Amino acid sequence: MYRRSGRGRLLLLIFLALSILIITLDFRQNEGGPLERAKDISATVVAPIQRGLTTVFRPVGEFFASIGELGGLRSKNQRLEAELEAAESEIQNARALENDFEKLTELHDVQEPWTAMETLTASVQSNVSSNYRWARVIDKGRDDGIRPDMAVVNADGLVGKIVRPVTEHTATVLLLIDPRGAAGARISDRRDTGKIQGNGDNDRLALELIGSNSDVFVGDIVVSSGYNEGIFPPSIPIGIVDEVIGDVRAPDHTIIVDPFVNFTELDYVLVLLETGRSVAQDGDGG
Amino acid sequence: MSVVAKEPRPSSVLGEIGVPRLFAVGAVVILALALQSTVLSYATILGVIPQLVLVVVLCLAFTDGERVGLVAGFFGGLLQDLQLPEGSIVGLYALVYTLVGYAIGVMREYTPSESVWTPVLTVAGATAVVEFSYAGLSIILGQEWIGLVTTAKVVGLVVLYNTLLTPLVFPVVKRVADRYRPERVHRW
Repeated sequence: MYRRSGRGRLLLLIFLALSILIITLDFRQNEGGPLERAKDISATVVAPIQRGLTTVFRPVGEFFASIGELGGLRSKNQRLEAELEAAESEIQNARALENDFEKLTELHDVQEPWTAMETLTASVQSNVSSNYRWARVIDKGRDDGIRPDMAVVNADGLVGKIVRPVTEHTATVLLLIDPRGAAGARISDRRDTGKIQGNGDNDRLALELIGSNSDVFVGDIVVSSGYNEGIFPPSIPIGIVDEVIGDVRAPDHTIIVDPFVNFTELDYVLVLLETGRSVAQDGDGG
Repeated sequence: MSVVAKEPRPSSVLGEIGVPRLFAVGAVVILALALQSTVLSYATILGVIPQLVLVVVLCLAFTDGERVGLVAGFFGGLLQDLQLPEGSIVGLYALVYTLVGYAIGVMREYTPSESVWTPVLTVAGATAVVEFSYAGLSIILGQEWIGLVTTAKVVGLVVLYNTLLTPLVFPVVKRVADRYRPERVHRW
């Protein structure tokens, strides 16, 4: 091995200075500044490769997963048939209720329910490559009308919300299980509201109610609370109460909630194209 | 990526890094990030994703020295930073990877032999230092962070996974590095 002079110290200083400059820029949170531009460029370069890899490897993963399930298929089939019949009769009931509900909503001029909101289906393109953040990148972005703070759901319930970076053709979904992805929540059918927060665990969320005066039981359904407590539309299913630690009337209680959404298997999600906050505030960026 | 290997344009700051080599390093780092965020993020060990970009940066520093190490580190770290959801500090991975790329590039000249174990042990040690530095700096800079016990567990698993990946990654990186090294001393 040969020796060279300088050992690249000047180069090191240049790139260290650049890194620190970027960190300061990030702390200033310049909207539409050079960092936003850099995020757009990096997404343009990396996203096609990620999409390609996901398209190629997702079927492989599903194939191996389905081999393991072959044995249970017959019994699963029988169970599903029974469930289908039960579901069909429930649908009849639901249709009648929906009819009534619409009439009442019109009558009282109530906020539009989340199920009636315009949605956009997006495919999950990649994870974020960090062990300390829980988020996914989807294949729809600014050009498709996606803005930060929009709620993201799937067939099972609340997945999370859109956060920056949102680039032209990609957007980031911060999952509900991320410690910084907290949401306003309440026990279904009751008025007490609180905050639900994750800690990276796939099957445990912690709910804390504020000023509750009714009991909470294992098996109670937890849904998102309305606009005034958070950015999510009201009544999106979140999970089911798994454990109640302490007295819910006291301030230091914890309610452990098992989320409906399986955060390890997110392939497609729905973005609700409206936010609780004014969309116009974020809308002029694109 | 087929870049025609022409005579490198030596510049005083970049040293002996030629333009083709810069492109080759960029391509390898981008591919590593794409793999890390898709395939590898589902092939976890107890839910922990390996840091393939870091492994590639360390292998590049090990084969090509401190200049290539720090440039690859900055570029790879920044790409990783730019993908993170808001609430993480953009530029922190760039800073830490730049430093470790440089350090490993300098240290490689003092490693005893051409043993296969040297890069593997280098990656193991450097990964531990990088992961703890990143967590530490995040906490110092006021980031909301998971518990320290969980952090230690995550770091341990990342070290394990990165170490396991090194025997697969190192030969690939070495090939690319040899291919685009301006003075072609030895080829595969």
